[in-house]
Amino acid sequence: MKPALLFLAVAALSAQDANWTTYHGNHSSTHHSTLTQITPQNAKDLELKWTFQAQSLEKFETTPLVVDGVMYITEAPNTVVAIDAVTGREFWIYEHKNPDVTYPCCGKVNRGLAIHNKTLYMGTLDGKLVAVDAITGQLRWETVVADYRKGYALTHAPLVIKDKVLIGTAGGELGIRGYLAAYDAKTGSEIWRFRTIPEPGEPGNETWGNGSWKYGGGPIWLTGSYDPRLNLTYWGIGNAGPDWNAKVRPGDNLYTSSVVALDADTGKLKWHFQFTPHDEWDWDAVQTPVLVDRVWRGLPRKLMLWANRNGYFYLLDRTTGEFLQGTPFVKLDWSKGLDDKGRPIRNPGKSPSPQGTVIYPGVQGGTNWFAPSYSPKTDLFYLNVWDDYSSIYFAWDQDYEQGKWYAGGGIKADVQSTRRDRLARRHPDSGYGAVRALNPSTGAKVWEYKMTDVSDGGIVTTAGNVLFTGNREGNFFALDATNGKLLWNIYLGGQTAASPVTYLVNGKQRVSIAVGHTLYTFGLRE
Amino acid sequence: MNSRFLFSLLCAGGLWAQHSETALTNPFRTPDDRARGGAFFRSQCASCHGIDGKGGASGPNLAAGNFRHASNDEGLFRVITKGVAGTSMPGFSMNGREIWQIVAFIRGLNTGRAAGATPGDARAGEQLFQSNRCLQCHWLNGAGSSLGLDLSSVATRLTAIELRQALIDPSAEVAPEYWIWTAVTKDGQKLRGSRFNEDTFSLQILDSAGRLRSVAKADLREQTLDRRSPMPSFKDKLSETQLNDLVSYLNTLQGAAK
Repeated sequence: MKPALLFLAVAALSAQDANWTTYHGNHSSTHHSTLTQITPQNAKDLELKWTFQAQSLEKFETTPLVVDGVMYITEAPNTVVAIDAVTGREFWIYEHKNPDVTYPCCGKVNRGLAIHNKTLYMGTLDGKLVAVDAITGQLRWETVVADYRKGYALTHAPLVIKDKVLIGTAGGELGIRGYLAAYDAKTGSEIWRFRTIPEPGEPGNETWGNGSWKYGGGPIWLTGSYDPRLNLTYWGIGNAGPDWNAKVRPGDNLYTSSVVALDADTGKLKWHFQFTPHDEWDWDAVQTPVLVDRVWRGLPRKLMLWANRNGYFYLLDRTTGEFLQGTPFVKLDWSKGLDDKGRPIRNPGKSPSPQGTVIYPGVQGGTNWFAPSYSPKTDLFYLNVWDDYSSIYFAWDQDYEQGKWYAGGGIKADVQSTRRDRLARRHPDSGYGAVRALNPSTGAKVWEYKMTDVSDGGIVTTAGNVLFTGNREGNFFALDATNGKLLWNIYLGGQTAASPVTYLVNGKQRVSIAVGHTLYTFGLRE
Repeated sequence: MNSRFLFSLLCAGGLWAQHSETALTNPFRTPDDRARGGAFFRSQCASCHGIDGKGGASGPNLAAGNFRHASNDEGLFRVITKGVAGTSMPGFSMNGREIWQIVAFIRGLNTGRAAGATPGDARAGEQLFQSNRCLQCHWLNGAGSSLGLDLSSVATRLTAIELRQALIDPSAEVAPEYWIWTAVTKDGQKLRGSRFNEDTFSLQILDSAGRLRSVAKADLREQTLDRRSPMPSFKDKLSETQLNDLVSYLNTLQGAAK
């Protein structure tokens, strides 16, 4: 490369990486930043720069966007705030009014925004996609994506691809039939819609016995990824419904608990891969599709790395969906292994039952929606795991009623789904959390940082070889990405249920994270 | 439309915010209401709270008779209709009658706990409670020690059978928070107490001198958890009659009147 071209490339990279412009940080969803100011050597000098106190007492699951010194966050349920990234002072607040009763399964949460052409996009609990002027905070348009009275809700950050805004529907515990839809970014008019459950006459509908496709779930509640060269967008599809009483929906139940690759212009299905056929455990495939180009078995491949809630780590070819490799990354007993197509070989007796069945992993899975990271510097895949952890799974009969809970069973587990109780009340044999680094080719553990409690926090890594994450204990910390050694820790006193972001303000690297009901921003002592 | 149903619709319809000075009581408490409430509970609540109401993966135990976010029927009605901010508990859009029936069912989960067979003499049991110096470790209605279980309302949490079992074999089922924690610091100091809380870096304990303190894990050379109860067994210390008397007394401990 000629020197002038090299300079241009570096300048372009710097402008991109000074900001955090999408939910996952980039379209490949690596949650990796090329910033290098914070290093393993100076991370001990991190200090608090400012905080932003949310007014909402709901879970604070926002992952901020940062564009040229302005940070944009959501407060639950559906408030957008523009903040000065230098001082933490707010510029404006836009509040979307929801009806008194909406139907989110698991808290009135929102995970963040998309931005395009000075417009912010947010999904709402009452099923709307809203567009807000990023300069003034004024509403530009809103459009109805789904009828919330039928159990639909929008909780994840939208994804902008070219001139379209993509958003999917949550509601896997309320008998929805999920979909992903694309809207014109300027007007809000719908361009295409992909149903996660095929209707009669479409391929895949035969995987739903007894007419069960009508209320079969298949929600989408986490942002997908995009490969511009293949023009494919990848989305993880959630659980089949009813969650635990699977006998009423015989078959594989496509495309629940799958990843789908869609043409970004038309929404047409290019390929799918189902991690958990006939899911009986609520193991949504709602994890981050991490897109990585690297050599595998001697050849350069376009890969997808996927640590699934069902306890297996998968390596897929993202051009074709071909299964390349799968390895358990936590203790699991529901399956003996994967066949050569990646289909799990089930262990008998590991279904939910009226009397309760103990199954590993527990209902939150070996990992869940919180973001993993891939660093090209270390060539490692990082994730928060819940290991040596089980639940007792119950199943019982239940009829569908619109707007009512439709899970067909229940769960008991020592490790609760959200932070609520003191850790001393939990049996020490009930599992633990760890930050783990895996070899992306084999899924083998390279190192781990073991914690006393589990984490619902995402991970970000940097080209400075620093890893940031938080956990349920209230700790937010930095590890050396090469070996997992603790570099810095601060006790923030609340649960992390979001991903950190890193960016530059006035040329200085910052790290921000939502913890408890506060957004914290850290930087090096100056 | 009967007046009870009209009343429940008003409650669900928005007049709820106009608080009266006295708490509302549940107008739907018949056995049939409880049964219908049980059916609603099973379909709408049991996924999180467990089919027996004793707690699940994301919902707390509702069968203990006390509630974190409600102190009476009105409070339970509010929690079910409005949800609890910051938790997985949503507000439910059922009609008022259905919600009151769920409240009746939840209330019923706790009744009968204290009504187990207690053939002993509670007054004699109270004397045994005093002579065996139970308050050296336990707390009861404003007196005693915080080292052991607070017994002020123990009869609302344990049945007579469970109380008897706890006296005969106290180590049979000890909750983790009551395990005895011991440690040796890197400078040789021995520590002992109850582990109240813990994270990756520290422990919060009640030490044997009754002090609350935090201990950094980095300062410890070793630590162990003894899963046995520090409470002695009364199997061979008390006669069958005395055990019955003591259980009968403990079974009267229902907590302060509300």
